[in-house]
Amino acid sequence: MLTVEGLGKSFKDKQIISNISFEVKKGEIMALLGPNGAGKSTTIRNIMGIMYPDEGSITFHNSKGKGIPRNKIGYLPEERGLYKNVKVMDILLYLAELKDYPLDRAKQRALDYLKKFGLEGKDKVSVEELSKGMGQKVQFIAAIIHEPELLILDEPFSGLDPVSQELFKEEIRSLAANGTAILLSSHQMNLVEEMADRLFLIHRGTRVIYGPLSDVKKEYANFKCTINGTNSLALLESLPEVERVQQNGESAVLYLSKHIQPAVWLKNLPAELDIQELSIDRISLHEIFIDIATDKNLLKEGAELHA
Amino acid sequence: MRNTMKVARWEIKRNLKNKSFIIGMFLTPIIFLAFLLLPDLLSSDEEAATTKVYVNEGLGVYEQLEAAAANTEWQMEQTDVTEQEAEAALGTEEDAAYVFIDEESVETGQVTVYTNEETSSAFMDEVQILGGPLQMLQIEQLGLTPEEAGIVAQGIIFEDAAVASDDEGLFSESMLERVIPGAFAAVVMLSIVFTGMAIFQSASQEKKDKIAEIILSSLTPADLMQGKIIGYFVLGLVQVVVFIVIALPVLIWKIDFPIIEYLLVPELLVLLLIAILGYLLYAALFVGIGATMADMSTAGNFQGFVMMLPFSPFLFIGPVFSDPSGFFAQLGSYIPFTSPGVLILRLSLLEEWPWVEIIIAIAVLIVSVWIFMKLAGKVFQTGILMYGKNATPGEIWKWIRA
Repeated sequence: MLTVEGLGKSFKDKQIISNISFEVKKGEIMALLGPNGAGKSTTIRNIMGIMYPDEGSITFHNSKGKGIPRNKIGYLPEERGLYKNVKVMDILLYLAELKDYPLDRAKQRALDYLKKFGLEGKDKVSVEELSKGMGQKVQFIAAIIHEPELLILDEPFSGLDPVSQELFKEEIRSLAANGTAILLSSHQMNLVEEMADRLFLIHRGTRVIYGPLSDVKKEYANFKCTINGTNSLALLESLPEVERVQQNGESAVLYLSKHIQPAVWLKNLPAELDIQELSIDRISLHEIFIDIATDKNLLKEGAELHA
Repeated sequence: MRNTMKVARWEIKRNLKNKSFIIGMFLTPIIFLAFLLLPDLLSSDEEAATTKVYVNEGLGVYEQLEAAAANTEWQMEQTDVTEQEAEAALGTEEDAAYVFIDEESVETGQVTVYTNEETSSAFMDEVQILGGPLQMLQIEQLGLTPEEAGIVAQGIIFEDAAVASDDEGLFSESMLERVIPGAFAAVVMLSIVFTGMAIFQSASQEKKDKIAEIILSSLTPADLMQGKIIGYFVLGLVQVVVFIVIALPVLIWKIDFPIIEYLLVPELLVLLLIAILGYLLYAALFVGIGATMADMSTAGNFQGFVMMLPFSPFLFIGPVFSDPSGFFAQLGSYIPFTSPGVLILRLSLLEEWPWVEIIIAIAVLIVSVWIFMKLAGKVFQTGILMYGKNATPGEIWKWIRA
């Protein structure tokens, strides 16, 4: 649906993003991840033609001619709002009209979605009377009212309560299931982990990780073992295949090296180890993310190997 | 272009549904009429009040006095009250005066007049006309022959022999012929410039509401900007129509003059062209500046200065009135920001239109409209997506050069 190749953009002398390449396929949720200021919104604005890239190309497939097929794209920007002193239905219809979507169908869809999002009867209410969450919902409806083939969501969950987050998640999933290509930018890893098919992790304007979520997890997420019990740091560090130990009172987190077999590793634990509780799991996307964002380089070896 | 029209339609619809816009639209002509008619209402009150003049004279010249005062608004009455009684009476009476004339007055040439606070302020000037009959008495007593008396009484008159070609007053008929279309064009321009100021509001509101990026995902900044300019132009015209519908019948009734006949002249087209060019210039200015500002209350000096530009023609009003084809009038016609106002004012005053100057001025206007539209486009494109802060003149300059 969308292919981005070698995208680069700089403001003044500062390179904001460089050599960004990825694609978004029909019916998949592609997550664009990165800490604040990594260049997510810049990438998206370049795709939307709100900014022009200095280098690289952006190709929309199945669109005739050059230029951005604006009518086929739904866009929810990070900085978003609505005109204040107009009615909800008026603004939804205006935005649909700008996309050349037939008005009668837009009206029906707007009513359906308002109902779905618990805003039934709010269509004649002035926008300024809506709460922030309600406003977010209306903006989301505005982004999808014209049945876009490609939906770009920049931080769609910011400022939403858990219930609304769940609502949005479901809706995004069902849109993808119906064949919409979705590019989702976020820094809320737990949500992305649940939804994304593939992800692109961006930091300081360059690619860090790109691939299907499961591969990424396999590739980067080593096992970690959390042990509760009174053990000396020396003992823990002497255990096999332990790369790093983080001890905090009674509890210690052991970061294990790649390619270990958890079962084998567990079997080889010495008997003198005091174990009150033990859990073993993969490092979550959240931890990978924090790691990259704070330059702890827990994954550096893996990333280098991959690159 | 289709997108431009969509934006224009939206801006029109949105404003026409806005209560404060509607109220403003109807209030403007009403305030205009109020300012026009209020002085009339107040002054008519004063005209009705005539001064009561009591004359106590012992010379038998009352009839001559009355004849001399025929043109005044006085209500004259003969009386024989004494000076003390008059003083007492004035304490209670409104707008009255007592004039005492006797032998002594003729001899000394001094007449005592008693007035009070209520007496019309012009009375002491008006009362001088009573001097005529008394002077005749003086002359008679001197024993001159009637011819001599006639010459003396005639006095000396300074005759105004200025080469006044068209001395028909400020609003002579031929004058109205030009003033009416001019005034109409001025109303059109003012209305659309004021509505145009709403463009500025609208552009900065777009930023404040953070909807710009959503809108720009559907169309280009140029579409959005042009749509706004066209939309507010139409709103300005709606304002003009409302203005005419409300004000014109009142004016026709009040002024009692065939306004329509004088309004629909070919010159009106030129004046309207100037007004529309003026609108486009200011609209470009406002939409550009609006896009640089987070909101109205944080306007910097630079933005404030630009906002004042539409009022710059007022600088030229004095010089243009005193000499509609003088240096300042010509200067004002060639400076883009003052040109629409100054031209409309000049053309309303001048009998012979300086066509060469008009054409040059209109050409200057068209070129500056084009340039400012280009500049505004560049500023708008970048400014509309800049959130949370005002652009400095330096930044604006950079966008323009980019």
